[in-house]
Amino acid sequence: MFDPYNIFDWAFLVPLLPALAFVFVGLLGPRLKRLEYGGWLAVGFGGAAMALGVTLAAEEMLSPGTYTDQQYTWLSLPGNGSGAFPNGFSLVVGTLVDPISALMLIVVTVVGFLVLLYSIGYMHQDRGLPRYYAELSLFLAAMNGLVLSDNLLEFFLFWELVGVCSYFLIGFYYEKPSAASAAKEAFLVTRVGDILFLLGIFVYFSTYATRGAAGGWAANGFPFVQGNAPYLAGAMGGHSTTLTIAGLLILGGAAGKSAQFPLHVWLPDAMEGPTTVSALIHAATMVAAGVYLLAVASLFLGFTPTDQLAIVAIGGFTSFFAATMALVNPDIKRVIAYSTISQLGYMVLAVGAGFAMVGLYHLFTHAFFKALLFLAAGSVIHAVGTQDLFKMGGLGKPMRITGFAFLVGGLSLSGIFPFAGFWSKDDILSSVYGTLATHPLYWPFFLMALVTVFLTAYYIFRAFFLTFSGSAPRDPGLGHAHEGAWVMTGPLLVLSGLAIVAGLLPFAHGFGSLLPGAGIPPNYGSTDLLLSGASLGLAGLGIGLAYYLWGNGRVFALADSSPAQPVRRLLLRRYYMKDAYDAVGTRGVYGLARGADFVERYMIDGTVHGLERAFAGLSDRLRKIESGVVLDYAAFLVSGLLFLLLFLLVIGPWVASNGGL
Amino acid sequence: MVDSTLLLRFLPEFAILGAGLLVLLAERMGAQRRELFGGLAIAGMALALLFVAADAGLAGLGSLRGVGASSIDAPVATGALYAFSSLGLLFQGFFLASALLVAVALLSRPSREPGSPVAYALLLFATLGMLLVALAADLVFLLLALEVTAISSYLLVGYTRRDPRGLEAAMKFYIIGALSASLSFFGASLLYGAYGTTSLTVIGHSWPTGAGSLASAGYAFLLVGLGFEVTAVPFHMWAVDVYDGAPTEVSAFLAGGTKKVGLFAFFLLFLVPLLLVGTLSTPAGSARESIQLALALLAVLTMTLGNLLALLQKEMKRLLAYSSISQAGYMLLGLAVGTGPALTGASLQILAHVFLKTGAFLVVAAVAALGVGPLVADWKGLGLRRPYLSAAFALMLLGLAGIPLTVGFVSKFVLFSAAIQAEGWFLWLAIAGLLNSALSVFYYARILKTMYVDHVDPGAPPAPSPSEPSLAFDGLGWGRAGAIGLATVVIVALGIYPQPVLSALGAAVQHFLTLGV
Repeated sequence: MFDPYNIFDWAFLVPLLPALAFVFVGLLGPRLKRLEYGGWLAVGFGGAAMALGVTLAAEEMLSPGTYTDQQYTWLSLPGNGSGAFPNGFSLVVGTLVDPISALMLIVVTVVGFLVLLYSIGYMHQDRGLPRYYAELSLFLAAMNGLVLSDNLLEFFLFWELVGVCSYFLIGFYYEKPSAASAAKEAFLVTRVGDILFLLGIFVYFSTYATRGAAGGWAANGFPFVQGNAPYLAGAMGGHSTTLTIAGLLILGGAAGKSAQFPLHVWLPDAMEGPTTVSALIHAATMVAAGVYLLAVASLFLGFTPTDQLAIVAIGGFTSFFAATMALVNPDIKRVIAYSTISQLGYMVLAVGAGFAMVGLYHLFTHAFFKALLFLAAGSVIHAVGTQDLFKMGGLGKPMRITGFAFLVGGLSLSGIFPFAGFWSKDDILSSVYGTLATHPLYWPFFLMALVTVFLTAYYIFRAFFLTFSGSAPRDPGLGHAHEGAWVMTGPLLVLSGLAIVAGLLPFAHGFGSLLPGAGIPPNYGSTDLLLSGASLGLAGLGIGLAYYLWGNGRVFALADSSPAQPVRRLLLRRYYMKDAYDAVGTRGVYGLARGADFVERYMIDGTVHGLERAFAGLSDRLRKIESGVVLDYAAFLVSGLLFLLLFLLVIGPWVASNGGL
Repeated sequence: MVDSTLLLRFLPEFAILGAGLLVLLAERMGAQRRELFGGLAIAGMALALLFVAADAGLAGLGSLRGVGASSIDAPVATGALYAFSSLGLLFQGFFLASALLVAVALLSRPSREPGSPVAYALLLFATLGMLLVALAADLVFLLLALEVTAISSYLLVGYTRRDPRGLEAAMKFYIIGALSASLSFFGASLLYGAYGTTSLTVIGHSWPTGAGSLASAGYAFLLVGLGFEVTAVPFHMWAVDVYDGAPTEVSAFLAGGTKKVGLFAFFLLFLVPLLLVGTLSTPAGSARESIQLALALLAVLTMTLGNLLALLQKEMKRLLAYSSISQAGYMLLGLAVGTGPALTGASLQILAHVFLKTGAFLVVAAVAALGVGPLVADWKGLGLRRPYLSAAFALMLLGLAGIPLTVGFVSKFVLFSAAIQAEGWFLWLAIAGLLNSALSVFYYARILKTMYVDHVDPGAPPAPSPSEPSLAFDGLGWGRAGAIGLATVVIVALGIYPQPVLSALGAAVQHFLTLGV
């Protein structure tokens, strides 16, 4: 029952408040006197959601536990002991507050609120402002709903809603063809993941969710119940192959949303949306959903060892693969975008190796420094009107706050002590290192992750130096840069603070309970210290190299004859994967489409039109019958009667005597 | 001796009857105002609904009527004419809801139109018959109650008297109705011959082994007679003419109300053979399989043909009529499957239709009153001109198509999953139902497209103006607006929170199945 004195019973408001903002801003926004007012409305609702979300998280810290409240059965079908679902099944909507969802609530609501606030300054010129704020609010509502879902089907519902919202927002400047196509790309690629996820749900549904000892799972509405995973695994007994397949399908879903190899292609192109949207997508909403799915699945569904290896492989490889593409890219937003893919790889790696909490720890710290980097980049773009790193330069002086913010974000991303990224990345590396003795197959992916530390530090400081160091912009055509309004710098400073301390927050006693089993605070042994030293050294090396090549306004140009040129081209062309996909898309899919078109046009349409003509003729005749001659109706009635008599007296008994249908 | 509780037991029926008599009395005494007649009818229906709700134990009203819950779902004595089952009470609620919506909407008919007292009185008497059907425990009682409804509705179709189309429709309706009623009664007499009684409690618990053919023939006749009521193909033909020719409010009542009575009669009569136990080699098992197959055949035929014919319709009322025919097929499908969940789904489908179909026809009536022509194409651009009315209609169409967050989705979901759960050849029924749902989306979507997407030709004549612009809501009238609004609210409310109704229906169906009538 609803208990108004129980704060957890109010959890449903966290998604509901932004959803209301969506309705209000969407309906009223265009009629307000000034379009920004709609933005302030959204900020207000977002702020309220943040207040409640953070309060919930604080309550969770004070009394850790799992609070499943406000369950509401939408539909429930009883089972009859046999058939397709002998125990019946239910569709349930409810909220679940547990440590990890509380942690995610902090991330989503805080970053969401800051992005909304920052947007007031950033998005001043657009006429579609009400649409922007409405969609952004819906995006937050969807993500909050996803985080608070207490069962798999509800999770999937919000998952899809997140996908739709990202489509709207990436394509916000829909009159720009590149934006429209980027939105379509994001939607279609993540759609592949969504379908895999859905198939995974089907596998669960058609196997143990409805039958056997775990039959109550479907009957209770697929709840996320702690301790369900080993139970399910036990219930499956000899069906571990099915379990593996289901796990791989879930991984596919997560790879789509979290832009993991080979479904990563959409994320860099998603930069076509407003920078604020990128900040939200990369930090708190879209891509976080995939990692969160993996974490939730590993806790509540369980992965088989084969699944785990696949997840580790995807994560480790993606972290390295994406980092290499960031090395050469000239676009400030795309560099950060690749870094997101790479960092998500770290998280996936950790979850795959069995450390869901460690992965979420990195998600938590990453959310703040990545949002910071994007908003800082947005501030730069806002000031100079270009995203090309080679046109910028010398912006450190006119934009001190932004430069400082970017520096903090970069240090955190590089994993420099004591910034936020250091703690979580170190946790991942040492956790995975600890499994290597028992899982030697993880070795290559661990090494990739280690090398990525160096690459990360290099590419982010390359971007930093290109933007902020030097005396003046390389392109003299750039306008006079200046810092944005307080609504922009304020969030930057708040996020800078968070990017510094977020890694240490879980060290606090209460906060730590949000990440049970994440190994916080670290219990440093000698190997761990060695590992930390190595990763710090690698990061330092990367920063040093970046300074040597790009510092102080230097621009390093690779000689045309250099043997590294082909590599550079390969990286710039993104390993030709997008081209390959396009080729598959245009040749393969179009070929398929043409085939389908042929089938459609000549076979299906032909049939349909044939049927249509046939039925048009029939209906014509029927119309003639229905022209008012009641005798005809009576004739039909009587012929029907004769047929039924024949059926009940002769045909039916004959069928029955032959064993029935 | 008259049982002193008899009056109490039939309070809803007396409320309706009393209101009907009062309407006639007021007309004799020279009353003129439509509002008076309408008010009397609405008051009677509301009172009856309150009594029914009290019986169903809703909202703690149980003590209102004095008869305890003990007589509801109690085993029925052999030879009893009527019985109180919770399913019957729920259906009484459905019938009253439909009648009430129509009575409210009728308030907005043109003020100078004659016959309003007649319309209200007939509506009330038809409702009376419907309420009685829900209580029937005897074959003759059932058929007589059906006739009360049928005769009232024949007259209702032609109540305006001046409209030749309405009169023609009434005449057709009457002739075919009389034919099928006689077939029903003949079937009943065959059943009497087979069983030696007309009590549904006896008919309901056995198969007359010695007179099996006689019983089968009786069921065949009754299938035709009741098939006419529910517009099962091929006994449906009258429906399109009648729905088209009748005043649209009456069509709403026929499609959303009286047709459902036929379905409840189907429940009473045809569930019984479906519950017969025995392997296929026994006479009872063989009879069960035959009747189940016949029902399945009728169901598939009805939904498929109804949908296909609706695809080509250009007139809005005829299109809705065919859609209504196809929807009867879904309900028969639930009956053919015959399991508890399937009947729950069918009952829910019936409830959904009380609001979806009645509502849709009422919107058509309202739009016609705005001066829009009868063709689907005439609705072009209505989405912009009358956004609220169009939104309500769009919602009803989506509900008929079975889109989530409307009650139409819930009922189809329960129905089809019950068929899937029952396995065997019922799976094919589920597939047929799903394919038909997909098919029906075509013509529902076509209407939506006409209302919202199609460009209005700039050279086209200006938008028609309401025939009675003085009415509230820009010529819509309070009655219509209220009825449509009410239907819309229920459609969404039941779509968002169906579980209480679903549980209540499930429990009622379970009682019904265990006790028989």
